[in-house]
Amino acid sequence: MRSLFALLVLAILGTLTASADPREDIVLTGGCALRFMEHGKGEVSHDVYWFNFVDASTIRLGELKAQAKPDELVTWLIYRPAYAARSQEMGMDLLAQLQQKANTLGVRLVYFNNQAELIAYLNRGLDRDKIKIGDFDYFGHSNKACFLFDYSNTIDTMSIAWLHVKDLGKIHADIFAQDATCKSWGCHSGEMYSKWWKDHFDVPMTGAIGKTDFAHGGLPQLSNADGKWAE
Amino acid sequence: MIPVSVSLMRSILLPAFVIASLLVSPALLRAQETVYQAPAGQAPPVAPPLKKGSPLDHLANDPRIAQPVPGYKEGRTQGDAPWYAHRLIDEVGGQGWGWVKPSGESWNSAKWIALQESPGLAVAPHRHLVKADGDENWEYKFWGKFASYKAYDPRLDEQLPVFVLQGYEVIGQAAPLKIKVGPPDRPEHRPSGASSREGKPILSDPGVD
Repeated sequence: MRSLFALLVLAILGTLTASADPREDIVLTGGCALRFMEHGKGEVSHDVYWFNFVDASTIRLGELKAQAKPDELVTWLIYRPAYAARSQEMGMDLLAQLQQKANTLGVRLVYFNNQAELIAYLNRGLDRDKIKIGDFDYFGHSNKACFLFDYSNTIDTMSIAWLHVKDLGKIHADIFAQDATCKSWGCHSGEMYSKWWKDHFDVPMTGAIGKTDFAHGGLPQLSNADGKWAE
Repeated sequence: MIPVSVSLMRSILLPAFVIASLLVSPALLRAQETVYQAPAGQAPPVAPPLKKGSPLDHLANDPRIAQPVPGYKEGRTQGDAPWYAHRLIDEVGGQGWGWVKPSGESWNSAKWIALQESPGLAVAPHRHLVKADGDENWEYKFWGKFASYKAYDPRLDEQLPVFVLQGYEVIGQAAPLKIKVGPPDRPEHRPSGASSREGKPILSDPGVD
């Protein structure tokens, strides 16, 4: 009986210790297209508004920041080249505006320039033995098999920077907390990406069945009546 | 003593402030001009006006023609031996541009490519045409190089080599090539595993706005 009690105390202490570990919440933001690539495509013209993904990200970052514990880091990962290129196209310093938004929110802004840099950050950006990822959100272009950080920015309707389901194996499987919450706000992720995510990381990722719509402002909504969120 | 110091400070700082304001304000005004303000009452914001003379301005406003003009040149067309290029629209909905092969080699050695344009220097020839498929089965001399990275085509869930276009010359119309369309690893029969609408040309539209 005494040993059982000791075990119970140890278990409770362990739980308390685990919950006290610092965590990192990550919002991953993909890039916008260039108008040069999307001009003249009518209703299917992507990213007329350059901060469609950014505005949605800042809403989520605000939520995370509001609910974060004192030792919880909130990090904003942004695919930089797309915003640098769009800045050049528009004659505006969008990168400065991104930094200003991050400062206003009080979150860490970390840029990445390619898939390798993103994976390096997820694996080793912080000491993942001690700091697990507690929340993960993706805002950007996607199909059911792939997150597209670059889309129609370098090459018309194509991507030169992405994270395919087949690339998930390059990310350490233990970077997430056991009770982590993950969500892709992009199109179609719930049709394939979520399953591969769960299989690799052993944490669920909510994703859309069907398309999502960033055009109304706020957090994206499902585009179609028969769309739904799934894990 | 103190009132004298304050007075002295004022007499120095006030003119300095006025002079500094005169120097700084034009820069500040320019900075404010670069922050785009969307028209009131409209959401989401719309794209800002086109910059005169920009590649996008040319794309939107230059007159277009029905077919390429043999001999027309654009961009850097000097230096290294050109590549030879044959335009084809991918009938299964892929966004590859067509084939490119080294000068002097057969079309069997050609690669199915993604075309990376260089706005301001050389853009895809079909940008000058009324219809994007107006140069199907036309051939060109291309100047440029293969990139170290690949392109991912989200519609077909496949990767293509990237040719960075720096210049081109229109050769003329040609007979259709009887070689395989798409990258070497494209299966003969779709559908792809990435498809959200199996059996339809657009297999997985990444569209989100």
